[in-house]
Amino acid sequence: MHDLLDDYAQNNALRDTSPYIKMLLGLGSILISVSSTTPVAPLFVALTMSLATLILAKIPGRIYSRLLLVPLSFALISAAVVAFMHGSGQTLYSVELFGTTLHLQTDGVELAVLLIARTFGGMCSLFFIALTTPMIEIFATLKSLHIPESIIELSMMIYRYIFVFLDQADRIHSAQMMRLGDASARSSLTSFAMLSSVLFLSSWEQGERLIVAMDSRCYDGKLGLMEEENKAAPSQIIAVALYLIATATISVLSRNVSLL
Amino acid sequence: MTKIIETRDLSYSYGDGTQALKGINISFERGKKVALVGPNGAGKSTLMLMMNGILRPSSGEVLFSGKPLRYDAASLRAIRRAVGMVFQNSDDQLFAPTVYQDVAFGPINLGFSPEKVKRYVGFALRYVGLCGYERRPPHHLSGGEKKRVAIAGILAMEPEVMILDEPTSNLDPASSEEIMDMLDELNHGGKTLIISTHDVELAYRWADEIILMKDGEVVRRGTGQEVFSDVDLIRDARLKQPLVVDIYLELMSRDIVRGSKPPRNILELCDLLQPKAREGTGASGKIYICDVDQIPGGEIQALIDRASVSFIGGMGTAAKALSERCSISLDFTYGVIDKCILKALTGKSALIMTSGGMVDHSQHRIQDYCRESGAEIEICSLSMRQDEIEKDMTG
Repeated sequence: MHDLLDDYAQNNALRDTSPYIKMLLGLGSILISVSSTTPVAPLFVALTMSLATLILAKIPGRIYSRLLLVPLSFALISAAVVAFMHGSGQTLYSVELFGTTLHLQTDGVELAVLLIARTFGGMCSLFFIALTTPMIEIFATLKSLHIPESIIELSMMIYRYIFVFLDQADRIHSAQMMRLGDASARSSLTSFAMLSSVLFLSSWEQGERLIVAMDSRCYDGKLGLMEEENKAAPSQIIAVALYLIATATISVLSRNVSLL
Repeated sequence: MTKIIETRDLSYSYGDGTQALKGINISFERGKKVALVGPNGAGKSTLMLMMNGILRPSSGEVLFSGKPLRYDAASLRAIRRAVGMVFQNSDDQLFAPTVYQDVAFGPINLGFSPEKVKRYVGFALRYVGLCGYERRPPHHLSGGEKKRVAIAGILAMEPEVMILDEPTSNLDPASSEEIMDMLDELNHGGKTLIISTHDVELAYRWADEIILMKDGEVVRRGTGQEVFSDVDLIRDARLKQPLVVDIYLELMSRDIVRGSKPPRNILELCDLLQPKAREGTGASGKIYICDVDQIPGGEIQALIDRASVSFIGGMGTAAKALSERCSISLDFTYGVIDKCILKALTGKSALIMTSGGMVDHSQHRIQDYCRESGAEIEICSLSMRQDEIEKDMTG
């Protein structure tokens, strides 16, 4: 069927590790990545978090590289724009385009590299959380952080029905393709519009069936959470703390490092 | 037999004026297995939705244990707890992100304490054979597993009556049979069961009573044999004869068999065709019945090795779980007693693995069969002591 992030979150080698420790590690790394002023710390984070995802959580490399390619391609495009449009300093390279001259200057290049490094570090950390922690444990963590219950309950149901609608969208899409719904650009557009409207209506109906289903089981405004949780081992807490301190130190020490 | 649910002149019209039910007067007896059959649009689902107060009748009333249903919040809670409903599409019913949360939904909303919720969920999941699935999200389950979770979610609320709308639609044959076997187990545990189905074979074999509906009315109720031998009635209701009945009617018209009513199953059909076969003395095999709750897996394995057991049947969730644990391959997983009798009649020995009240049920069923048909099948119940079994096997 689908190849979803969720499937990996459910079955990976770090599945039973405490969600708190995984989220602390991921969020901590993201913060250090985006607050660092040079590319050194973010690149270190990107490398270590990738290793953690690939080796500790045993996520297949093929999947992981395909996942990273998406944000990375965005980062490269925007970095190129930033490199040419930004800054002052020594001109490294210039190019004639449509009658205007574009200059590549040191400041711009440094900013572009920093941008890529931060994106990369941040995405690697985020994918670490996404690939090792099932949504449901994230919900439990949010609850213990005193996020209002109605928001969490709503998110849980939205999460549950994403998969129902994904399946449905998939079926409708196949039905359209079978009857050449993508024969031309125009018919593709029409097919897409039809898919969207049908999906909207069926989600509405699903909502009504949901109310009946909840009512017939005596709904009284309560949706429980999984009670049991995996406690983090002291060694894990120490390891994560050491890692975050080390990364932060790298970030501070490398603040004056310049590429060019 | 006491009546648990009753309807009086029950009518229902949808918003657009179509009359889904037209003055239904019907009663359901406690502890029975009832199947509602009928073509699409006969009003089966509408009737079911009325029995736990989801739909409110346009006129007439529904009675539960002799008292008319009221539609205030407290009464609705009480009736929905007592009459559990399993929907046709499991995805409609499983709305929580994990199996545990879904099964816990009812108990939590009934205001049980966290420990009690945990205990009830544990019990329900064990019952449907899904221990260890607590943390799985529903979209990672197969169709049969989803149906089991849906049933567990209702079981955790301890209903007296369970209503299942098309419980086997969209399931593969093995999963359907397992679900139906589980429903039998629930029925032995004292639950009243009402299902709706298009599957005539299933309804005929499983139900104590068939209620045939058409165009919002009950056209016939009775045992499977009564309802399904009426050829015209069945055709008008856009159903078909179960295969056994079809064969029986054809054999009757050729004067090959004679009987007052059609056989319920293959066992009865075989007896009709070959009534003398079992009079051969000593030819029939033994049937061993073992209670998996009392006898450890190793001992069962040893028995299978020593006694010449040719066929093994597993009845109920506990037996199936044990057979999986001890890698005992089961030849029969549904209709177990009948199949084992059939094998015993051909001189082979069979073992029925089961548990709880179904141990006695199996024994009585076989004894009843022997009394009615005059066959002699030796039953060896394995709740007796080991040395007795050995004596029994050697002697």
